[in-house]
Amino acid sequence: MFFHIVLERNMQLHPRHFGRNLRENLVSKLMKDVEGTCSGRHGFVVAITGIENIGKGLIRDGTGFVTFPVKYQCVVFRPFKGEILEAAVTMVNKMGFFAEAGPVQIFVSNHLIPDDMEFQSGDMPNYTTSDGSVKIQKDSEVRLKIIGTRVDATEIFCIGTIKDDFLGVINDPTTA
Amino acid sequence: MARRRDEEDDDVDDEEYEDEEEQLMDDEDYDEDEDVGRGRGGSSTKRRRSDFIDDVAEEDDEEDEDDDDEDFGGGKRHNKAPRVGSQFFDLEAQVDSDEEEEEDEGEDDFIVESGGDLPEEDVGRRMHRRPLPLREDEQEDVEALERSIQARYARSSHTEYDEETTDVEQQALLPSVRDPKLWMVKCAIGRERETAVCLMQKYIDKGSELQIRSVIALDHLKNYIYIEADKEAHVREAVKGLRNIFGTKIMLVPIREMTDVLSVESKAIDLSRDTWVRMKIGTYKGDLAQVVDVDNVRQRVTVKLIPRIDLQALANKLEGREVAKKKAFVPPPRFMNVDEARELHIRVERRRDPMTGDYFENIGGMLFKDGFLYKTVSMKSISAQNIKPTFDELEKFRTPSGNGEGEMVGLSTLFANRKKGHFMKGDAVIVVKGDLKNLKGWVEKVEEENVHIRPEMKGLPKTLAVNEKELCKYFEPGNHVKVVSGTKEGATGMVVKVEQHVLIILSDTTKEHIRVFADDVVESSEVTTGVTKIGEYELHDLVLLDNNSFGVIIRVESEAFQVLKGVPERLEVSLVKLREIKCKIEKKFNVQDRYRNTVSVKDVVRILEGPCKGKQGPVEHIYKGVLFVYDRHHLEHAGFICAKADSCCIVGGSRSNGDRNGDSFSRFGGFKTPPRVPPSPRRFSRGGPPYDSGGRNRGGRGGHDALIGTTVKIRQGPFKGYRGRVVDIKGQSVRVELESQMKVVTVDRNFISDNVVISTPYRDTSRYGMGSETPMHPSRTPLHPYMTPMRDPGATPIHDGMRTPMRDRAWNPYAPMSPPRDNWEEGNPASWGTSPQYHPGSPPSRAYEAPTPGSGWASTPGGNYSEAGTPRDSSLAYANAPSPYTPSTPSGQPMTPSSGSYIPGTPGGQPMTPGTGGLDLMSPVIGADNEGPWFMPDILVNVRKSGDETLGVIQEVLPDGSCKVALGSNGSGDTVIVLPSEMEIVAPRKSDKIKIMGGSLRGVTGKLIGVDGTDGIVRIDDSLDVKILDLVILAKLP
Repeated sequence: MFFHIVLERNMQLHPRHFGRNLRENLVSKLMKDVEGTCSGRHGFVVAITGIENIGKGLIRDGTGFVTFPVKYQCVVFRPFKGEILEAAVTMVNKMGFFAEAGPVQIFVSNHLIPDDMEFQSGDMPNYTTSDGSVKIQKDSEVRLKIIGTRVDATEIFCIGTIKDDFLGVINDPTTA
Repeated sequence: MARRRDEEDDDVDDEEYEDEEEQLMDDEDYDEDEDVGRGRGGSSTKRRRSDFIDDVAEEDDEEDEDDDDEDFGGGKRHNKAPRVGSQFFDLEAQVDSDEEEEEDEGEDDFIVESGGDLPEEDVGRRMHRRPLPLREDEQEDVEALERSIQARYARSSHTEYDEETTDVEQQALLPSVRDPKLWMVKCAIGRERETAVCLMQKYIDKGSELQIRSVIALDHLKNYIYIEADKEAHVREAVKGLRNIFGTKIMLVPIREMTDVLSVESKAIDLSRDTWVRMKIGTYKGDLAQVVDVDNVRQRVTVKLIPRIDLQALANKLEGREVAKKKAFVPPPRFMNVDEARELHIRVERRRDPMTGDYFENIGGMLFKDGFLYKTVSMKSISAQNIKPTFDELEKFRTPSGNGEGEMVGLSTLFANRKKGHFMKGDAVIVVKGDLKNLKGWVEKVEEENVHIRPEMKGLPKTLAVNEKELCKYFEPGNHVKVVSGTKEGATGMVVKVEQHVLIILSDTTKEHIRVFADDVVESSEVTTGVTKIGEYELHDLVLLDNNSFGVIIRVESEAFQVLKGVPERLEVSLVKLREIKCKIEKKFNVQDRYRNTVSVKDVVRILEGPCKGKQGPVEHIYKGVLFVYDRHHLEHAGFICAKADSCCIVGGSRSNGDRNGDSFSRFGGFKTPPRVPPSPRRFSRGGPPYDSGGRNRGGRGGHDALIGTTVKIRQGPFKGYRGRVVDIKGQSVRVELESQMKVVTVDRNFISDNVVISTPYRDTSRYGMGSETPMHPSRTPLHPYMTPMRDPGATPIHDGMRTPMRDRAWNPYAPMSPPRDNWEEGNPASWGTSPQYHPGSPPSRAYEAPTPGSGWASTPGGNYSEAGTPRDSSLAYANAPSPYTPSTPSGQPMTPSSGSYIPGTPGGQPMTPGTGGLDLMSPVIGADNEGPWFMPDILVNVRKSGDETLGVIQEVLPDGSCKVALGSNGSGDTVIVLPSEMEIVAPRKSDKIKIMGGSLRGVTGKLIGVDGTDGIVRIDDSLDVKILDLVILAKLP
């Protein structure tokens, strides 16, 4: 799920950036530092949309670095248990397939793939129904439900299922 | 038990309808009966145990009886009123009734009734009673007994509604000093029972003359019997003349141990059908078997086994041929194939079992069904306790036609072996047996056997007490769990599927499925790998195998490793036993990548060809020109990829040694790459760090131990007291170059103390040393490898002044974070060397000027200094920045992740999160694609032809790398062909229009809206996205 939230961060700025462009430097550094990171609480920071407030800088003794408390608005993405997501399949193997929804990697185990879909190995490993009408392979788009998440310091990993109503392939690269 | 029960009923009847006298007679008979039972040893105790239960069951009888009492005697009501409410509590009721009877009918009834309470007491009391009618002091005794009983039970009447009293009561029943004692008497081995029966017979014959009370022979105790009597003399008297008893040693059993004599270990596990057992002896020793039938009478069990039959041997035997006497090996378990047997001309009979109606194949007297061997064995030859079938075993037992029931059956065995304290408060559980089956709930409280659960369903009582055996832990898909027992102990993962009590877990580390029992698992948020080490070999170690092949351990199994072999052409994984591993390879090697950059451990490389083309990641191991690269996006082989060194290239590494423009021309305005430092004067490396062949930052930031280069003192061993510098570290041994002797010695790591003043950080020396490795420094004597000319007095002071704080800051705190190699030195040598501004710039550099060749400059930390941010140096760096030669400088830099150069400069260390460091390194925008020609059409270049510089606009890039350039700042002039070496990209300034020349956005145009160090902030024209890109890959547009 995406959220637009306000976060705060203490930015340390090198003295060489002081000057007219201090703010810009600060913002660009903030973007560099924050965008794409992941925290267990908020999920992935997708983009910074604006700066709420830059507090007063505090010069650090000895280093000359200045610490600014920066409040910024950002879009975060955090997957939740039970959430339905659309994701692109990145890898298929006999144990299931991996899909990605933005920065989140989701694994769908073969136990959570409908029983009528079978794994076909080969050049392009895939899961196919017995009649061949539905095929999951790399680059397929699937709709899945997250059943579990594991949150690390720098990564969120999810387990999903497509064994439910209205879940499964939504776009097949071969037919598209 | 049933018999006993009848007797009890009889007793009750007696009480009611017969008079005292008769009843005593009856009791007498009964007691004798009891004695016989005791003579039989074990069985008697069993019977008594059941008495205990019977008392409870007799409640009804007693109730009736009480009613009868009322009819007969009346007036007892007051005593009974409270019982109405407490009837449900067996114990209380039982005590209560005991008491009443005591009051009602006197001692005898009481004794009969409570006879089962505790075996010892039972014995004791019966003893009291039996001689009663026959002794003179009968009356006295009765009174005394009555008193003692009163004393004993008076207490309980006050506390009868308190559950706790049971324990106290039980305690009160234990033998005391006033009770008869137990004596241990030695008898002939194997004649214990016989002796006991003899004594009984003697008692019957002689009656009161024998003053012993009982005799006990225990089945498990050979050579001894117990005799209960008040005095030792009585025992002696009784055993006199018995031929089985010899010796006169009579030992008193201490009071405390008396109970142990008659307590039975409750190891009587019920062998029921379908339980899992293990064979204790024979060919099948240790094999798992399933009980098919139990014959309790004959103490035999029919079990189902996977046969271990050597058909050939069997055939030989059946045909009367000679069979090797003792086979050295046990045939592996294999299902019996009847056809195969027939092929060997073994006669197979098909027979119907008269009992079950099933058909069995009979081969040489053995019964087979569905490939399983059905074998009838003695109960003693199987063990039924603590059987933990593994999945593999259970899997094998699953017959093709097997239905789900087998699974549930296994469950019961599993439950029987459950550890204590298995359930904990808060555990989610599901009821698997009984009326409440499939009810889910949470554990609230755990008692001995019962678990109180809070049911999930509404409308049920708040908590339910359920037997532990009926419960199973419950998990839902998505739970993150940790395996706490079994073969997969320690692994963590997410539950993917729940099949009754079996969970399928996706391991966190291996991304593989693991099947475990729900019982072995707890919910946990922790992430671990499970076992990662066997012996000295650990997961991800590089090991040398038996056949001189080598590989990386990618998985640790219970007794073996999975090793990814070092065969770059194909991915080869083999399962290796511990003993097949020769040794761990700890030596650090350096190799050269395709572009002759030195690759060391931890360097990030990209694989350019082979099966894993395009993957990239840090090098974990190097051996024999093969790299083991860890790509965390690679899911096979635990992320490890094996590749030849020359099919890889360093990410962020300079390609100056090869070429950056895709052809042999250098972009550095014609500077030739300085020739590599000749490797000849290797002797330096004797003292120095492992000799890096490239211009790499020696001192080993990545992979090298921090100890290297420090001055240490040797604490122990033959070199005790010597000081020296650490040259190399190999496992536990450290090579130290002694200060006082011209020697490098190897000492144990534990034998050194490294808290000696860390004098002159050695890294610096070595850097200068690198310069000095050229034969230009003949003055260096082998004795003093570090006394290089550069460090002669003239240079030293400055040098030291320069080196001090910032270097340390720049190098040390960030060592782990910054990219392992600093490309400044490597990329820039030429440029630094010829940079005209640089020389006069700072006094310190002058010191080096004269003796140092170009490459020496490469090693000077000038580049780092400038980034280190001290005013003096930064003036240098920034002075350089806008200089005309900047465009070429970045050519050394471009692959340097910007943060790499930035991080070292941030003293203090806090601001950069590790995440960012990695991010920059991996950032697809920056480093994703560094191939292909850099020059692109439409960009503005500085053309240096025939000595003068003009601006031009590239119109076309020719296949050979040269470009068609239209001269003039907006491309209006003549068109000329220019070699890449003759032109430079014009560095854009802020708010210039730019074109991106590298990375995934190659070819895209945009506007430079800001500059941050070596990064440019670019707004892409098309998408209006803001990107942060390395300045080097940005080219100004006209």
